[in-house]
Amino acid sequence: MFKRLFVLAILVAMLLPVLAVNAQDDITLRWRTRPDNQAEIDVYQAASDEIDAAWDGVTLQYEAGNSEGAGYSDVLVTELTAGTAPDVFWIPGADVARFAKLGLILNLNDLAASTDGFSQEDFYPQIMEQLTYSLDGSDSLWGLPRDASAFAIYYNQDLFDEAGLDYPAEGWTWEDFRTAGEEITALGGDVKGFGMSNWWGPYGYFINGAGSSFFNEDYTGCGMGNDNTVAGLETMASLYQDGLAVPWGEDPEPVFYAGNVGMYMNGRWATPGAVANVTFNWNVAELPVGPGGPSNWLFWGAYVVNAKTEHPAEAWELLQQLTSPEIQGKIAGLGANIPSRVSGSGVDDFLATFSDLGVNNQAFVNGLGYGVAENPVWAGDWTSIVAVLDSQVSAVVSGDLTAQEFADTICAQIDPFFGTEGQ
Amino acid sequence: MTTLVRSANPTNKPTGLPLAIPISIVLNIITIIVSSLLSLKIFRLDEFYALGNSVQYFVGVIAFLPAIAAASAIFLLLLKNPNGRFLSLALHYLGMVFASIYLLHIWGVFTGFDAIATALYENTVWMWGLVLAYALYWIAGRLEDGKPLQNRLELVGIGIGMLSLICLLFFGGILDGASSVLGKYDEARTWAATALIIIFAFGAYRMLLMGDYFGETTDQQIAWQGWLMLSPNIIGFMIFFAGPLVLSLYLSFTDSVGVKEPNFVGLDNYGKALSIEFKTQGENDRYPQDALDAGYRVLETFRIGDKTTVIGAKDAYFWISLRNTFLFCLMLIPLATIPALLLAVILNSKIPGMKIYRAAFFLPSVAAVVGIALIWRIALYSSSVGFINYSITQVTTFLNDTLGTSFKDTEIGWLSDSRYMMFSMVLMAAWQVVGFNMVLFLAGLQGIPNDLYEAAQVDGANQLNQFRFITLPQLRPTTFFVVVTTIINGLQVFNEPFVLFRGAAFPDEVRTAVLNLYLKGFQDIQFGYSSALAWMLFAIIFVVTLVQFRINRDKTA
Repeated sequence: MFKRLFVLAILVAMLLPVLAVNAQDDITLRWRTRPDNQAEIDVYQAASDEIDAAWDGVTLQYEAGNSEGAGYSDVLVTELTAGTAPDVFWIPGADVARFAKLGLILNLNDLAASTDGFSQEDFYPQIMEQLTYSLDGSDSLWGLPRDASAFAIYYNQDLFDEAGLDYPAEGWTWEDFRTAGEEITALGGDVKGFGMSNWWGPYGYFINGAGSSFFNEDYTGCGMGNDNTVAGLETMASLYQDGLAVPWGEDPEPVFYAGNVGMYMNGRWATPGAVANVTFNWNVAELPVGPGGPSNWLFWGAYVVNAKTEHPAEAWELLQQLTSPEIQGKIAGLGANIPSRVSGSGVDDFLATFSDLGVNNQAFVNGLGYGVAENPVWAGDWTSIVAVLDSQVSAVVSGDLTAQEFADTICAQIDPFFGTEGQ
Repeated sequence: MTTLVRSANPTNKPTGLPLAIPISIVLNIITIIVSSLLSLKIFRLDEFYALGNSVQYFVGVIAFLPAIAAASAIFLLLLKNPNGRFLSLALHYLGMVFASIYLLHIWGVFTGFDAIATALYENTVWMWGLVLAYALYWIAGRLEDGKPLQNRLELVGIGIGMLSLICLLFFGGILDGASSVLGKYDEARTWAATALIIIFAFGAYRMLLMGDYFGETTDQQIAWQGWLMLSPNIIGFMIFFAGPLVLSLYLSFTDSVGVKEPNFVGLDNYGKALSIEFKTQGENDRYPQDALDAGYRVLETFRIGDKTTVIGAKDAYFWISLRNTFLFCLMLIPLATIPALLLAVILNSKIPGMKIYRAAFFLPSVAAVVGIALIWRIALYSSSVGFINYSITQVTTFLNDTLGTSFKDTEIGWLSDSRYMMFSMVLMAAWQVVGFNMVLFLAGLQGIPNDLYEAAQVDGANQLNQFRFITLPQLRPTTFFVVVTTIINGLQVFNEPFVLFRGAAFPDEVRTAVLNLYLKGFQDIQFGYSSALAWMLFAIIFVVTLVQFRINRDKTA
């Protein structure tokens, strides 16, 4: 009998630790961003370790997200659904409205208001305008921008030389751009004058550059039902229909790397790849000026705080540290990201990248200055809108739809997606 | 079947209450407490993973079922009823399984697969040792039995294998891993999970030995042993398949966005997907879109006489994706079956080296589709730097230069020209599935009695007639299976469009049904609507397969 009691006592004693489970003192904050490569992961990890070491009572866990956009988003959405998402995470600018409307991210306004030394004016105003959008009339702050980026033209200097063309200079126009494309394509072989990807950014540049816009002035409806849209799309479509561009839908990057594209439009994120892979002479220039004036996008992404975090104050503190000039400077030093702060040492660090190669970093910074901020559609459902846009713009490029028909019909198709919850 | 039972009391002499009974009662009490607390916690949650009250209550009740079972088990055990033993066994076993899963979770095993892959990748050299060991063992097995050389080779093989394995584990970081696992034991929950595994395992083991005490029959013994063998699969099926399946059916009737409590919307999701309208474009309608009601998009237009009829849909992508999916299947079936059949016929010979060809043709079927798609996308399909267009250019140039022809070098936009996008997907999918189908046909061919061919030869049938009148009819069941599986896989096509066209907007021409529901679910965050699309796709696949079975049955009758 004693033996049995002893066994039972042991069994019960072994269960006692259950009572002590989860008794932890330190606050643990998990944070995640989408790195482009291992070098960025290393920098982010080092930054996390540095902040962690200097922060008593808080332990940081950095999680490198999937470098591919869709994969990153899938995991994050799944975790948010399951309630296991990190305390702080990065999302693209276009997603901020959707996340805010779904109640997934915290309004940080009160925390920011009670923070000494914090100023929204340190960041690009176009971005902060979006990040402070109010859903219910109250003051809002949905996050802080991690970085910014803009388009530029990566051009093959060797092909320009071969075609006897001057390199793109400040203020060059769509006519100059088209002429250069024609001359370079005329070199023959597999050479194309131009290349760009087929998502909303590149074709949106042509619409914006012609003086139109995806949206109306207050972003509550479609803004493309006008002649400027027609002009922009015709300019763009003609590049494809006249055989001057790498075919629509095809990734132009490897073709550019192969030396077969004269002008390749992409963002700053493509610069490290170009530095690593391109063997010919190249540089970057600002985007050509369209009839509507200088145009570009101001791409951005933001660190936001999970609405379900148990440590909002610490998460807000982490946001500030991750967007400090020092950390931004370290990230910018890799060459792929431009600091989201309008001035300071981070910007200097960025301008110094690849300086030995003579890369025209200033072209990106200039582009940011007049860039239209990547716009989270607060008054509509961006994913549905962009799905229709993608489809219809593709139809214009393939010739199934004229630019005029596009301008005449697009608003009827996307207006139903304004005024929805953005689900 | 070897019995796992031995008597707790071989002499069958009456004794006091066996130790297993109080242990089991204690474990059942623990189960009642844990189950009740878990159930209570679920009921008291403010929100249940944004799935709504219905799911919350359902899961809460499910979580309480073990408590009811455990209470019943205690009652039955005290009555010495055999069902009490079975119930206790099941509960202790499940307790051990779930505690084990929890412990592995704490150890970080489920999130550490990347580390395992990295460790293996970085220590490939030691895996060659395993290959060498296997080769030696294989050679030894082909030598005459009992020869000293055979024994030595086996011994050397085993030695090299063991050494390679130890080195692989050592250099792969087994010590670091063990240290990490031990490090987890500074948390109480790790000890608790470990303890639960031990005591549940001990309790289950003790109860296992109580067969004679409860008068267990041989049939009962065989039955629980069978259930035990099936249990890993059943548990996995319930957790990872049946549960999500039922949940997705429920979600399809809600407006779930995954992160907010959903509202029940009845059949609205199904209605939205299926809503189409037919309108005639009037004189005042400048464009077909103008003829449609608000919220509808043009799906198709066609002219009958002087009038243009416009078909509009609330969710045009649903219909577009269905059309694309069926088109994909229609194109895939001939390309995935006819070459497979021809290859199987060719490779169904005893010519030396045929196994190499079979393996070569089968290889694409086992390669990761994502990797394959990337190769096709960049190396083959790129219109500018891809090998296919490069080859076309070379052939065209050769013909024009040597024969004086004037063939035009058409730069085909495999992934950019809407006319070729679908074909590009089909070609890649067919290339990948042909090897698998070939193996199925090979198996079918080898099952055809040789007598039939001999009789046909005696009757003077040539090769073609033998193929037509013997091979093809005899292969009917195999062909049916190949076609059915190809169609089912085709209707679920996802990887090809996702990888070939990712990185930018997915063109309408490649938006397939599964890709569409993925985009609706994870890009648009419409889990309710996406679930409805999934169930409609299931219904379509079910009906198509049913029709095929019916046709096949009629033909074979």
